[in-house]
Amino acid sequence: MSIKLKLIALSLFTVLVVIISPWVDFAAAGSTEIQQMIIHELRIPRVLFAFTAGCGLALCGMVFQAMFRNPLATPFTLGVASGASLGAAISVYAGISFTIFGLSATSLSAFAGALIAISFVYSISRFRFGFSGETLLLTGVAISFFFSSLILFIQYLSNVADSFQIIRWLMGSLTVVGYQELKQLLPFVTLTAVVIIYLSRELNLLMAGDEIATSRGVSVKYVRYALFFVTSLCVGAIVALCGPIGFVGMMVPHICRLIIGEDHRYLIPATMLFGGSFLVICDTLARLVIAPAELPVGVITTLLGGPFFLWLLMRYKSQH
Amino acid sequence: MISCSNISVKIGDKTLIEDINCDIARGDYLCIVGPNGSGKSTFLKTLLALLPASGGKISVDGETLSHYSHKKLAQLISYVPQTGGSHLSFNVEEFVRMARYSYHHVFSEWQSQDQDAIENALTITDSHPFRLRKMSTLSGGECQRVMIAAALAQDTPVLMLDEPTAFLDPHHQVAVHQLIRKLNQQLQKTIIEVTHDINHAAQHSKHVLALLEGKCLWHGPAEQFLDAERLHLLYQQAFVFAKHPHQERLIAVADES
Repeated sequence: MSIKLKLIALSLFTVLVVIISPWVDFAAAGSTEIQQMIIHELRIPRVLFAFTAGCGLALCGMVFQAMFRNPLATPFTLGVASGASLGAAISVYAGISFTIFGLSATSLSAFAGALIAISFVYSISRFRFGFSGETLLLTGVAISFFFSSLILFIQYLSNVADSFQIIRWLMGSLTVVGYQELKQLLPFVTLTAVVIIYLSRELNLLMAGDEIATSRGVSVKYVRYALFFVTSLCVGAIVALCGPIGFVGMMVPHICRLIIGEDHRYLIPATMLFGGSFLVICDTLARLVIAPAELPVGVITTLLGGPFFLWLLMRYKSQH
Repeated sequence: MISCSNISVKIGDKTLIEDINCDIARGDYLCIVGPNGSGKSTFLKTLLALLPASGGKISVDGETLSHYSHKKLAQLISYVPQTGGSHLSFNVEEFVRMARYSYHHVFSEWQSQDQDAIENALTITDSHPFRLRKMSTLSGGECQRVMIAAALAQDTPVLMLDEPTAFLDPHHQVAVHQLIRKLNQQLQKTIIEVTHDINHAAQHSKHVLALLEGKCLWHGPAEQFLDAERLHLLYQQAFVFAKHPHQERLIAVADES
């Protein structure tokens, strides 16, 4: 099957998933007005939000994998999501609330946390030890631990209700999202997608290594800065709104690479489509597993992602 | 074409290269030789603006190197690194195609001269038979040819190569040497090559630059390079010489006795 055919098949699959999932497990009880309301006010915005967040998480994961040339490097494994979580937790705990250009304080501090974490990982891996896979991942793990313990510290200081909220939110959940949240998230994911699509040729060359990319004419430094900036923005926005939903950014782009190949001109749309529908499916599962109660979607993605991570690690080890 | 005056490179407080002066004319073929760690690759990377020089001045076509944008420089100088490319899952044609980056922006269309450039590059390096294979499935020799093909598709007057024959068997070494000579003689490309093969440097190149501990030990015409005293100083190794059975030239052999 040619790449274009695969992309068309993936688009059809995505449309199908998005159309069907609001109706899954739909109780026939109640009047038509109530049913209408559940679909329009709860299910549809939730599915659209899940799709957008999945898009963003998968894209950020794809960019990290390409930039660090390592399938295990994602915003989640390198501690960027933890940085964003810490930022968001601090703003919630301190009760800071303001909005600039429609950005909430939580989003802004999550973004700042993500940016700090990413500069940390990047400078340590770059200036101290070079870009070896192990050091990079260990740096990410160390940063994750550090930020996680700070979050625990904040949680310990909070009262019981806040503390439960923080735990629930850290698991990554889409239970409370509506059109308002969708409206807040959409600009970030769109901006990220536009920048990444604009830089698709540069991403291809970065896969070949910094030196080759530079000698072909890529301004590697500026491309990296631009990509770090937009991925931090995107991860920050997603984490602030629905918590750190893990492993989507690792599994989706990797599966897409296996199916579509390495060329980012095709990999980007594939990752967006599959990332979106993947999170929609996971969220639908999260609604079904212990119905009528719900699981946080992050539990599902992490349950799938853990084994996937191990599998990737074994593959990566045997290749290098 | 390329002129270096008093080039120094320092990383931290370690001096990698010190006071190198070197003029490379258009159409020249310069081999850079020297023992391991003598700064050959560092010098090459400095000429490519991959490493910043901490002192001295490099100019290309009369213009200071650091004034060039990355894209502009990529249309003047192409680079074949020592290793790389063998981990990629792009196919050969896609990889060579990517070398046309500097001639395009996001919305520009693929032109016939782009296609010609990659076809020529694949032809001259004899890479047509495996143009649709993934880079990761190529042998060392094939991968090296593709790396050279990609640099050729970049269509630059200057080509820099870092030990292009290091991992190749004798047959492929000869093939790559002949290819480089053809590029220099027929296409008038300026070649700068880092090599450990002193006989190849003496036989094929026009000038040799010998580096020792980051400094220039000798710079002169290739036919005068093979000298017992110089080689001993350079490599801390005695060499003996023999006349080539079929050609009017000397061959240097490391003396193991």
